[in-house]
Amino acid sequence: MKTSLARARETGRALARWTAFGVGLCLLFSPVRAEEAFVPNQGGGDLAIVDLAAMTVAARVPLGGKPAGVAVAPDGARVYVTSPEGGFISVIDAKARRLERRIEAPGLPFGVAVSPDGRKIYVADMNGRDLTEIDPESGARRKADIGAVPSGVALTPDGASIVVSARDDDALVLLDAAALTKRATIAVGRHPFGLAIDAAGQRAYCANVESNDLSVVDLKAQKLVATLKVGLRPYGVALANGRVFVANQYDETVSVFDVGSLAPLAVIKVGEYPESVAASRDGARVYVTIWFSNELWAMDAKSLEILGKVETGEGPRAFGAFVRRTD
Amino acid sequence: MIYTSLPGDSAPGGFKASHPLLAFVIAAALALAPSFAAAHGATPQKVVEAIDIVAPPEKVWAVVGDFADVSWRPEIERAEAQGGNVPETATRRLYYKRGGSLDERLVQYDGAAMSLRYIIERADINVLPVGNLSATLTVRGLATGGSRVEWKSRFYRAFPGGNPPEQFTDEVAIDAVTRIFKAGLASLKAKLEQP
Repeated sequence: MKTSLARARETGRALARWTAFGVGLCLLFSPVRAEEAFVPNQGGGDLAIVDLAAMTVAARVPLGGKPAGVAVAPDGARVYVTSPEGGFISVIDAKARRLERRIEAPGLPFGVAVSPDGRKIYVADMNGRDLTEIDPESGARRKADIGAVPSGVALTPDGASIVVSARDDDALVLLDAAALTKRATIAVGRHPFGLAIDAAGQRAYCANVESNDLSVVDLKAQKLVATLKVGLRPYGVALANGRVFVANQYDETVSVFDVGSLAPLAVIKVGEYPESVAASRDGARVYVTIWFSNELWAMDAKSLEILGKVETGEGPRAFGAFVRRTD
Repeated sequence: MIYTSLPGDSAPGGFKASHPLLAFVIAAALALAPSFAAAHGATPQKVVEAIDIVAPPEKVWAVVGDFADVSWRPEIERAEAQGGNVPETATRRLYYKRGGSLDERLVQYDGAAMSLRYIIERADINVLPVGNLSATLTVRGLATGGSRVEWKSRFYRAFPGGNPPEQFTDEVAIDAVTRIFKAGLASLKAKLEQP
């Protein structure tokens, strides 16, 4: 006959086993690491911070100035949001989920990126011709002439090069980040806008709003290597799981290509006016802002299934790198 | 001077320059920098209007789904259209009753879903104070046997920079598009419901 102590011990062990099993199950079925999306709602004037595991809005931060562009610092501590109509950049303390301060920015600040070491931010003035480099700590600034309507901004992972889409020049401008000087101007499709650079820093991909295609640029050779047909009015671009994802505003679709073969893989129907795309850090998921219906959609980067949706607020733009890892 | 209002001009939003010099400066700036009007860092706007019509959806789509037919658009004098209902090919030039014209292109057409999308390709902000407008028209059947027509659009104000002059604000653009959509849908309903 078992003593009550033995029985309790047995129950305890069973409980421990089941708990371990439960935790294992959770790990197995929620591959999404703790991540958040920082989605500026341009019409609403605020920032929605979305818990991507739960697909719920965890916090809202009022920003003003019709926020549109976003860049999460690589260490995740800060998030920078441009307010084109306010002429400023909001500095967000990501962990505390609060507005730390505003930095004045020239013209219509739109596209924004952070250097891999987190020490510089780069902002494009859509109403001018410049890219401005800002040291958020010291406030020191430098400027580089880009061309007509500087829009998307991205850096190579080594931080050595900056790529900017000069929308109305139909070109990508490649800059030396240290000297902040132009290294090359590469002709692409008509009106390049959103762009992405691969993890190796070898290629840049830009969506051409007017020619309805995606330009693939070899950054070392400094030349256009391919032009891929996408849907109508492509906007945002992201790389995940060896694939490139492009949001097509008028077609209400996301085009998917294999980055190795550049072969088209699929065209996925999404909501009205998809804008920006960003990948989870592990590349398992892709997130798309749906401007007209005010949503953020999650897509499995492998199966291409839509996994969930969350309402963000009025007019989500989120132009830039909007996903932050929290662990 | 292109922004001086003519007597009797009922331009949406009323293009009345508050000061002749200001009007001249804006006109000169826009004329000298045509790409300016396309540099949209401003905020895109939404307008959604819908109306229920006592007519079967097929009958409604027969009108709405003909890209060349603008007989139900009260603000339009006439249209020159070509390309039928073929997306990317079909275009139309709309001549406004109060003067001026715009060019539009059909970009999507789904007869089975009774839905089409068009864009303004050549804008004239004297005619309509907007930039980069795209719109969808959709007809769906109701349980009553009638139809619901929905007209949705995304567009920007005509002045893309910060601090727009008063005749080119977001509000003026929204007001102009809303008025056209409301008047068009009301006219479509009247046309289709007449005995």
